Amino acid sequence: MTMTTAAAAMIELEGVAKSYGDVHALRRTDLSIAKGEFVTLLGPSGSGKSTLLNLIAGMITPSAGRIVIDGRDATTLPTNQRGLGMVFQNYALMPHMTVFENIAFPLQVRRLPKAEIRRKVAEALDLIQLGHVADRRPRELSGGQQQRVSLARCIVYNPALILMDEPLGALDKKLREQMQLEIKRLHAELGITMLYVTHDQDEALTMSDRIVLMNGGRIEQQGTPDALYFKPETVFSAEFIGSSNLIPGTVQIAADGTCRLKTALGTFPAPAPAAPMKAGDRAVLLIRPENMAIEVSGATTSVPGRLEDSILLGGVVRHFLRCADGSTLIVQELNQPGRSVAHRGDLIQAGWQPGHARLLPPQPAN
Amino acid sequence: MSDLFGTSRLARGVVSTAAWTCYLFLLLPSLIVIPISFGNPGQIEFPPRQFTLQLYRQFFTDPAWWGSTVQSLVVACVTTLVALILAVPAAYALARSRLPGRAGLRGLFMMPMLVPVIVLGLGLYLQFSSWGLLDTTAGVVLAHIMLTTPYIMVSVMSGLHHSDVALETVASIMGASRVTIFFRVVLPQLKASIAVGALFAFLMSLDEVVVAYFLTGQNSMTLPVKMYSSIRWELTPVLAAVSTLLTVLSLLIALGIIRMQGKTEASA
Repeated sequence: MTMTTAAAAMIELEGVAKSYGDVHALRRTDLSIAKGEFVTLLGPSGSGKSTLLNLIAGMITPSAGRIVIDGRDATTLPTNQRGLGMVFQNYALMPHMTVFENIAFPLQVRRLPKAEIRRKVAEALDLIQLGHVADRRPRELSGGQQQRVSLARCIVYNPALILMDEPLGALDKKLREQMQLEIKRLHAELGITMLYVTHDQDEALTMSDRIVLMNGGRIEQQGTPDALYFKPETVFSAEFIGSSNLIPGTVQIAADGTCRLKTALGTFPAPAPAAPMKAGDRAVLLIRPENMAIEVSGATTSVPGRLEDSILLGGVVRHFLRCADGSTLIVQELNQPGRSVAHRGDLIQAGWQPGHARLLPPQPAN
Repeated sequence: MSDLFGTSRLARGVVSTAAWTCYLFLLLPSLIVIPISFGNPGQIEFPPRQFTLQLYRQFFTDPAWWGSTVQSLVVACVTTLVALILAVPAAYALARSRLPGRAGLRGLFMMPMLVPVIVLGLGLYLQFSSWGLLDTTAGVVLAHIMLTTPYIMVSVMSGLHHSDVALETVASIMGASRVTIFFRVVLPQLKASIAVGALFAFLMSLDEVVVAYFLTGQNSMTLPVKMYSSIRWELTPVLAAVSTLLTVLSLLIALGIIRMQGKTEASA
C-alpha cells in the first residue's frame, strides 16, 4: 500500500473529532489521503462519513484535531479558501445560469481572462461530451447530464481535491454504472485526488483505490477493496461488504498451535486469527457464500443442512440452508450447466476449504 | 371540501350568490367613481348626464393636484428603493445566520406591521417635530420605509425559504466570497420575490394616508392626503378622476404581483 510520506499527502487529518454536546458525530480520527488517490468513505447513515466530508470542506469546524490540505493547515480556513471542489447528490447547479455559465462560474470567481475562461469551459465540456448543451439551462437536462455538468464545473478549475457526496444516489442503476466508469476515467486521465462518500458497497468496490469503512463515528477498517473484501477484521466489516456466513463459537488451540472453533454446528478448523486470541475466547468464523459449495461427499469441512430455497440471480445461484441449530447458511454457486441440482427439503452438505474461512473477534455488544 | 359546504346544487348556488353579493358590495364604491369621473365637471353626480374628459384635464393641469401626484410618486419610488436596500440583506442575514437572538431580531423587524398605524403616525409626529422633519419629503419617506420594510422582508424570506442552500455551499467551495455569493447566487434566485415585495411597498406608500396625514403639510403633501383634505374642504369631482387613475394603477400593480407570484411558484 502507498501510505505515503506527509509530503505527498493531499489531506492529513490528525486526531480530528466533532461532537455536538454529548453526541460524537466523529470520534478522534487520523486519515491520510495521497495525491491522486481515489478514496471512498463507506458506511451506513450516521456513521460519520458526511461529518468527515463536511469537516474537510470547512462547512463545520472540528471540536479537536488538525486538518492539513495540500501541506497547509486548513483547520480554521474558510470554505472558499480551501481550493476544493465538490459534487452533490442533487447536482447543485445554478438554475439561473446556462450550462456554460455554470462551468464558467468558478473561473470568473478566480478572475481569469474571458478568452481563457471560454477555452477552459469548452475543454471541460468536451471532456464530458456535452458541448452541444452549453447554452441550455440545467433543468432542461437529464439527471445524468446534470451530474456530468457538475463534474465539469469541478474539473475546470483543477482543485486540489474533489469531494463527492453520494453523487450518483439520485440516478437509476444503469446510469449509475455508466457514471461510475466515467468518474473513474476522469480520475485516471486527470489524476485529481478524489474523496467519494457512499453507502453503496458495490460503488465503493468498483471505484476506489482505497476504502475507508466507517461505523459509529470512527474508522472501522481501511484498505484496498480486495483487502476489505477478503480480509475483513471485524464482523461489521464482513457484513457491510459482501454477504457472509457467520458461525459463532469458542476458540480451541491444539498443542501444535493450530486453531479450531467449537460451534453449535460442530468443531471446525480455523486459520490463524487476525487479532490475537487465546483458547476459550469467543470468536466468529466467516465464510463467504461464494467460497462454499454444495457437496455430495463430505470431503472438506462441511455442515449438513436442509435446503430451504434456491434463487437464481442470473450468473449465480444462491442456496439457503437451514442447519440443525436453526441458523441459515448461504451458499453461492456459479450458474453453469451441470451444477448440483438439489430440491427444496433435501438434506445436503455445505462445504468449504478451511483456508477460505476467517476467524474474527465477536461483535462488541453495543 | 365539498362536504364542508354542502354538496347540493342549491347550497352551492346560495353560497356563490352570497359570495358575489359581498364582492360587489365591496367593489361597487370603487367602481362608482369611474362613471362619475367622465361626467359633469361642476359637481359630483351619479349617474352622469354627459361624457367629458374635463375632470382629467383639470387634474393634469392643476399644479396642486399634479404636484402632489409627483410628490407621491417620488415618495413611493424612494421608499421602495431604500426599503429594498434595507430589507433584502436583512432578510438574508436573518434566514441564513445562526446569530443568537435571531427570533427577537425578526420580531423587531416585523413590529411596524403590528403596531396600529394611527399610533405609529402619532409617535412619528411627536418625534419628527423635535427633529424638524415635519412637512418634509424626507420625513414621509422615512416613515414609509418603516412601514414597508417588513412586507418586503416577508416576501424575500419566503423566497429564501424556497431557494436551495446547497447552491450557496457549492459556490463557497468553488471559492466565491460571501459578497459574490449574495449577488451572483442568492439575488438571482430571489428576483421574483424581491419584485413582489417592491411592488407591494410601492403600492402601500402610494396610497398610505394615515401616517402621511400626520407628517405632511403644504410643502410635502402626498396625493392621498390631498384627496382626503379636498373631501373635507372642497369636495371637487376631480376626486373621481384621481380615484379612477389610482384604481387603474393599483390594479396594474396587483396584476404584476400576481404574475410574479405565479413565477416564484413555478420556479420553486
